[in-house]
Amino acid sequence: MDQNKKAIQVKDLYKSFDEVEAVKGVSFDIKKDEIFSLLGPNGAGKSTTISVISTLLEPTKGDAFVMGHSVIKEPMAVKKTIGVVPQEIALYPDLSARENLNFWGKMYGLRNTELKTRLDEVLEIIGLTDRQNDRVDTYSGGMKRRINIGIALLHKPEVIIMDEPTVGIDPQSRRNILDNVKALNREGMTVLYTTHYMEEAQEISDRIAIMDRGEIIASGTHDELVKLVGEQDRIDLILNTVSSQLSDLWRKIEGVHKISSHNGTVTLLVEDSNLLLPKLFEITNQVDIRITSVEIFEPNLETVFLHLTGRTLRN
Amino acid sequence: MKIFDLARKDLLRLFKNPFNLVMMFGAPFLITGLLFFAFGGMTDGRDDFNLQRVKVQIVNLDQAQGGLALGSTLVEFLQEENLSDLLQVQEVASEDEAHESVQTGSWDVAVIIPKQFTSSALSTGSDVAITLLQDPTLTIGPGIVKDLLQQFIDVFAGAKITTDVVSQQFSARDESISDPALQQIAMEYTGNFPSGDHQHDDRSSSLLIRFPEGVEEPENNSMSMIAPIMASMMIFFVFFMGANTAQSIIREDEEGTLARLFTTPTLKSSILGGKFISVFITLVFQTAVILVASHYLFNIHWGQPSVVIFTAFGLVIAASGFGVLLMSLIENTRQVGPILGGVLTVTGMLGGLFTNGIPNIPEVFETINLTMPQGWALRAWKMTLAGSSMGDLMLPVGVLLLVGLAFLSLGVLVFRKRFS
Repeated sequence: MDQNKKAIQVKDLYKSFDEVEAVKGVSFDIKKDEIFSLLGPNGAGKSTTISVISTLLEPTKGDAFVMGHSVIKEPMAVKKTIGVVPQEIALYPDLSARENLNFWGKMYGLRNTELKTRLDEVLEIIGLTDRQNDRVDTYSGGMKRRINIGIALLHKPEVIIMDEPTVGIDPQSRRNILDNVKALNREGMTVLYTTHYMEEAQEISDRIAIMDRGEIIASGTHDELVKLVGEQDRIDLILNTVSSQLSDLWRKIEGVHKISSHNGTVTLLVEDSNLLLPKLFEITNQVDIRITSVEIFEPNLETVFLHLTGRTLRN
Repeated sequence: MKIFDLARKDLLRLFKNPFNLVMMFGAPFLITGLLFFAFGGMTDGRDDFNLQRVKVQIVNLDQAQGGLALGSTLVEFLQEENLSDLLQVQEVASEDEAHESVQTGSWDVAVIIPKQFTSSALSTGSDVAITLLQDPTLTIGPGIVKDLLQQFIDVFAGAKITTDVVSQQFSARDESISDPALQQIAMEYTGNFPSGDHQHDDRSSSLLIRFPEGVEEPENNSMSMIAPIMASMMIFFVFFMGANTAQSIIREDEEGTLARLFTTPTLKSSILGGKFISVFITLVFQTAVILVASHYLFNIHWGQPSVVIFTAFGLVIAASGFGVLLMSLIENTRQVGPILGGVLTVTGMLGGLFTNGIPNIPEVFETINLTMPQGWALRAWKMTLAGSSMGDLMLPVGVLLLVGLAFLSLGVLVFRKRFS
C-alpha cells in the first residue's frame, strides 16, 4: 500500500498492564477514506488498541502512525487529526448540548465564527438542534450517544475513531449512528470502528480485522473473511436441557467441525446442514433430550469467528 | 486560552449546582446568622428587635408607713422608661379584676402587692409575699417579670434584715428604736435601688471596658462576638469549597471526560492548570462575597481593605492547596464525602474553628491550632479584625502562602503521576 494513502498504520503493537498482555503484536493498515472495523468479543484488546492510536495509552512496544505522525513521537500532531468517540458517554451532564459542544470545540482549537458555524452544523447532523439548550442529563441514551459522536466531528478530523458507539442503545438510534458513519465516510473521513456486533461490522466496513485475546486472527473484506470458512453452515439449536454428553456425541459425527454453547444456545459449524440435521436429531433422541428450536445460517462473520476460535463472538 | 476555557467550564458547572451555592454562601451565613440572632441580635440594642412586650397588671394594695411606700416604689420600678421595651404595665384597683384579666388571657401576668408590704419590710418577724399570677402557657414573659421582682425583693430583703438587726441590737441593750427611725434606716438602705432616672450603663459601673489603642471600638458586644465566628465559618467553608471544587478532577476522571480531554490537542498542564484556576477563582469569589455580605448583614468591620485583601489572599491560597492535595489522595468520588467531611472537621477542630470565642480555652490549645492551616488562617483573621497592619500579618499570612503553595505542588505532582 502506498504510504501516502495510509491513514493509520499500526506496527507490531504491544500493550501490557502489569502482568496482563492486552495487545500482542498487532499490525494493520487503514487506507484513507476507508471504514475499517476491529471486530471481537469483549476483552479482545480492541479498546486498548484504539486507546494507543488515540494517544491515551503509550505502547509497551511497537508504534502506530496516524496520517504519518507517530503516536509516540508526535502525539499532539496525531490529536489534531483525529476525533475520538469513546465507548462510555463522556459528556458534562449538567451542561446543555450546545454548552458541551461549545466547550469541546474550544478544546479542538475552534473559536468565534468558525466555532459557532460548526456548532450549528454538528447539531444539525446529530439531529439535536431543537433541544440544543436542554441539559444533557435530560436526554435519552440514544441522544447522548449522538452528542458523544458530534463532539468528535466538530473540528472536521481526517480520521474518526469510534469505540463501540452503539452499545446499549435502541435500534432507532443505532440505525441513525450507522447511517451517520457511512455519511461521514462518504464526505472523506477515514473511520476506525470497533464493535462486537457482527452485523454492524458487516454492514458498514470496507475491511474488517477480527481480534481475539490481544491478537488479530484474521483480516480482509467481508467476503475474504467468509471464504476462510469454506462451504460450512452454522446451526443454532436450543435444547430443553444442557448436556455435555450430547455435545461429545455430536462431535463424533463426521462433518461437525465446531461446537460452542452460550446462554442455552448450542452453535455448530457443519459441512452440510441438510445432511447432518437428521443425525443430530437422532442422537438427541437417544439421550432423551428435546430440540426446541433450530436455525440454519449462511456463513458470516460469526461463523468465521467460530471457525477460527471455537467460540462465538458472544462468549 | 484553553486554560481559561477549562476554568470557565468548571465554574459554569459549579454555579449550576445548588449544593455548591448552599455550601459556599448559605451554610456560613446560616450558622453565623443563627448565632447572631441567638446571642447577638437580641442584645445589640437595635430598634428593629421584635420581642412582644409582656402585659403586666399591678394591684397595689400596699399602705405607706411614715412616708415610705415600697408598693409604689415597685410600681414605679416596673413602669420605668428603660423597661418599656419589655413590659406593658397597667395598674388596676382590684385583685379580682387582675385575676379575670389573666384568666381570659387578655393580660399575661398580674402582680399583687399585699397591704402589709411596707410594714412587713419595717417590722421584725412578719413576712408577706407578693403574688404573681401568670398565664400557664407562657414562659418567657412571666420569667422576665419574675426576675425583675426577685431583683426588687432582694434589695428590700436586705433592708428588712438591716432593720431587724438594728432592732435586735437595741433590744439586747434593753433599749428601743422608734418606727420613724427604722423607716429612715430602711430608706437609706434602699436608696441605692434603681430608680426611674437610673441609667443601665456598664461604663458607670465598676466594670470599665477598654480596647487596644488604635482599634475601633465595636458598636456593641454582639458585634465583637459575631465577627470571629463569621471568620471561623468563612475559613471552614472556604476550605470545604477548595476541596469540593478540586473534586472535579476525580469526577471528570470517572465521567470519562478527562480521558476524552487527553485525546484533544490540549496540553495536560493546561488541563490541570484550568482546574486549579477554577478552584482559585471560586474561592476568591466566595471569600469576597462573604466578606462584603457579612459587612452589610452583621455590620462586621473586617479592617483596612488592603490588609483584608492580603489576608484573604493567604486564605484562598492555603485552601486551594489543601483542597488539591486532599483530592489528589482520593481514589474516587465515593470516598469524597466521608474523607472531605472527616478531614475538614478534624482539621477545623484542631485549627480552633469551632472553639473560637469560647472563654477560658487552655493556652496549649492555641499551640495546637497552629499545627493546622486553618489555625493560621484564624489567627490572621483575628489580627485583621483587631486592626493589625500588613507588617504584623506577615507571619500568619506568610505561613498560609507557604503551606498553600507546598500543598498545591504536592497535589500537582500526585495528579501528574496519576494521569501520566
